[in-house]
Amino acid sequence: MAFYEQHIHPKPTTFISKYIFSFDHKVIGKQFLWYGILGLGLGGIMALMIRWALAFPGEAFPLIGQFMFPETGGVIPPDTYAMLFTMHGTIMIFYAITPILIGAFGNFCIPLMIGARDMAFPLMNMLSFHLAVLSAALLVISLFVPLGAAASGWTAYPTLSTLIGSPGTGQTFWAVAIFVLGISSTMGAINYITTVITLRAPGMGYFDMPLTVWGLWLTAILNAIFLPVLGAGGLLLVFDRVFGTQFFLAGAAATSGTGDPVLFQHVFWIFGHPEVYILILPAWGMVSDILSFFSRKPAFGAKATALSMTSITILSTLVYGHHMYTTQLSPLLTQTFMTLTMTISIPSAIFFANWLGTLWKGSIRFDTPMLFSLGVVFVFGLGGLTGLYLGTVTTDLYLHDTYFVVGHFHYTMAASVLFGSFAAIYFWMPKMFGKMLNETWGKIHFWLTMLGLNGVFFGMLFIGYAGMHRRLYDPFVYEFLQHLVPINTFITWSAILMGLTQIIFVVNFVHAVFWGKDETDPNPWKVGTLEWTIPSPAPNYNFDKIPVVKCGPHELGNPNLTTGRDFQYQTEELVEA
Amino acid sequence: MTSLVFLMMEGFMNLISLFFESLIMVGSGQRTGHSDMSFWQRIQPPEDISEHGHLIEWLFNYTTVLNIFFFALVCAGLFGFSYFYSAKRNTKPYYTYGNKKSHILVATAIGLSVFLAIDMNITRMSNNDYVDVFTNWPDEEKEDVFRVQVMAQQWAWNFRYAGKDGVFNSEDDVVVLNELRVPAGKKIVVQMIAKDVIHSLYLPNARRKVDAIPGRITRIWFILNKPGLYDIACAEMCGTYHYRMQAKLTVYEQSEFNEWMAEAETKAIEENDPENLERYWGWTWQKTTRKEISMK
Repeated sequence: MAFYEQHIHPKPTTFISKYIFSFDHKVIGKQFLWYGILGLGLGGIMALMIRWALAFPGEAFPLIGQFMFPETGGVIPPDTYAMLFTMHGTIMIFYAITPILIGAFGNFCIPLMIGARDMAFPLMNMLSFHLAVLSAALLVISLFVPLGAAASGWTAYPTLSTLIGSPGTGQTFWAVAIFVLGISSTMGAINYITTVITLRAPGMGYFDMPLTVWGLWLTAILNAIFLPVLGAGGLLLVFDRVFGTQFFLAGAAATSGTGDPVLFQHVFWIFGHPEVYILILPAWGMVSDILSFFSRKPAFGAKATALSMTSITILSTLVYGHHMYTTQLSPLLTQTFMTLTMTISIPSAIFFANWLGTLWKGSIRFDTPMLFSLGVVFVFGLGGLTGLYLGTVTTDLYLHDTYFVVGHFHYTMAASVLFGSFAAIYFWMPKMFGKMLNETWGKIHFWLTMLGLNGVFFGMLFIGYAGMHRRLYDPFVYEFLQHLVPINTFITWSAILMGLTQIIFVVNFVHAVFWGKDETDPNPWKVGTLEWTIPSPAPNYNFDKIPVVKCGPHELGNPNLTTGRDFQYQTEELVEA
Repeated sequence: MTSLVFLMMEGFMNLISLFFESLIMVGSGQRTGHSDMSFWQRIQPPEDISEHGHLIEWLFNYTTVLNIFFFALVCAGLFGFSYFYSAKRNTKPYYTYGNKKSHILVATAIGLSVFLAIDMNITRMSNNDYVDVFTNWPDEEKEDVFRVQVMAQQWAWNFRYAGKDGVFNSEDDVVVLNELRVPAGKKIVVQMIAKDVIHSLYLPNARRKVDAIPGRITRIWFILNKPGLYDIACAEMCGTYHYRMQAKLTVYEQSEFNEWMAEAETKAIEENDPENLERYWGWTWQKTTRKEISMK
């Protein structure tokens, strides 16, 4: 319940006040969206370069290779390869997925879906985006410094990431960029949490919030708790690199010091494991909503889904040790982390059951957002189940640091999150820009992406099980990996298919935004959450009058409705079935 | 500008020709030298030469069977419901919140069945293997174990044997670069450190790996049964030439091994320079005893 009135700023008139220094959560959401799509493109090209090196070692990278690596005739050199996978991970996680799902849709959806005029702290919201830009600038600068960008993997394990292993300033820029981004995301997170708690429309209890808001809210809580931990780790790393401290240096040989490199791994993964859920929770929430909207029936066990997500949020903070089995944690810790990791599957299985329950006896419409949501159910099923091999310590002893891990975490935090993002973009497009994306091209986009994506990530599971380990410039120097060349080639062609398919999306998106036909229907998907009660695109300060919420977000398919619609707006009195 | 366009065209043509080349390559097995291998053979892990690797493989396969079962359930729901309840076939959706007793029971049952049937099951098995085998360190006071010290560095593996006197870091140690030779059928205990950055000793044929970390000693023990020549790799990103941090593992029959070791020990005594301080990167062997194990 809004316990205070928000300050209303005058409507911005100039380009700069409207699109650059904007307090409006919708504009900031759009800024983050463009920023994230740019990051996705950059990270995607890097992924293709990585795949190219693995499938065709010694062949020049097509089209841009000649310009980027003239001294090798277009072949990706091994040190560049290390920078590529480091930057691919960093950009995809922090500069693509985070801004799209959390930055763009967190900003756009939360106030609209809870019936608020803006975020609780509009100025902080704007600063959050500006800091994100600063952070991206630092990261881009790091690509051009002497000795090149950071090259110690996105996990940046010391002592490789200290001066011992990375003498260039690229790694320092990387750490500072992550630190700045941490501040930006923490500001956003505080804003989201406060907004959800204080600005829900009158009548809206926590369980009347759409599950999208639940997901974004839980993510914000995790972000607010754990990004400062990453920031602290990054800062200590900067100290080690710049001021000669020894937090992560140990030993008596090339490295000497009284610190401990494993300490960084603890700090990193205590953030890093929740990070997986930070990325996936918004997607889960959106999928839960979209499945219900397009099945034309209420979300099955919505309360249980929300509570499952909450318990996963809590459990996610207790399992990080499974990333560190091979550092020889004490057996007691290993056993504890293994058991705790496994308990996550209870809530996961419950909301999987609820998703399928939502589809059960529905009247399912297969519009593009729905296709992508169904895609999330499929790929997250694969991702979740392959996690079991890595949670159990003995199988992890073999699979750790192989492509099996790469396949697994791409299924969970790349494939599912990417599909979730696309579902969200296709779904909220009319409310964001007042335009619809082309449905036919959307469906082609979905199916080709699905095909390419599974070719890539399932292929990775295979080669990982066959023993191929990660981050190898040329795996085929090993005799026991040489027979994996054809599968690697297959993965690369799948990746190229997936990459080229995204051009369809970009063209569709850019065309719709700038030249698309205006969507006249303010509620094209026929759903009842608050954002669809106002015109499209959402007007300045969203709601003329703060709405009063009288029923839940998933009131679809009620047989006793007499309005001629098959759904109810949240502002309408609930019709008893 | 024209040259730029020309270069891009050339690159594009290369891409297309590579596509067809790789199609042919997959068909004929060119460049791989394994043209006779089927897909199924290719995705098998490397040959298991260890006493206990089968435990890991068995658990993997067991998990796979359970996973396939549960994923089939998910797919049945996903594709089945999509088919039977599409808007075309089912115009009247069933209006329910899924909060009836039967609904809650089914969802809870699914959650618990996944947890009990897969998770607790494989956790129990994995835990048993872990406690009974992989961290069940041989008691060095009672058992005859073969000891090796390893120092990982960018980008090589140094292996150290105690030599004739049985004491590590002494003048007569046998030190070998990138070659680990061990006797078959014996309990081998390896202790390792890293000189510069974190590395990871990866024995694909034994299904095992453990990190080598600056400033601390990590350990691994195993038994290798099948004589032959195998690969050792570094599994943890350790810099530009991480991919070349390769060593060879030779497993000998005990008698052959003794022969090699005797020769190497004599050579070490003859050729080792006791004044060369760089040779002494080893350390006093950290003995594992029953008492120590029970205290941990």
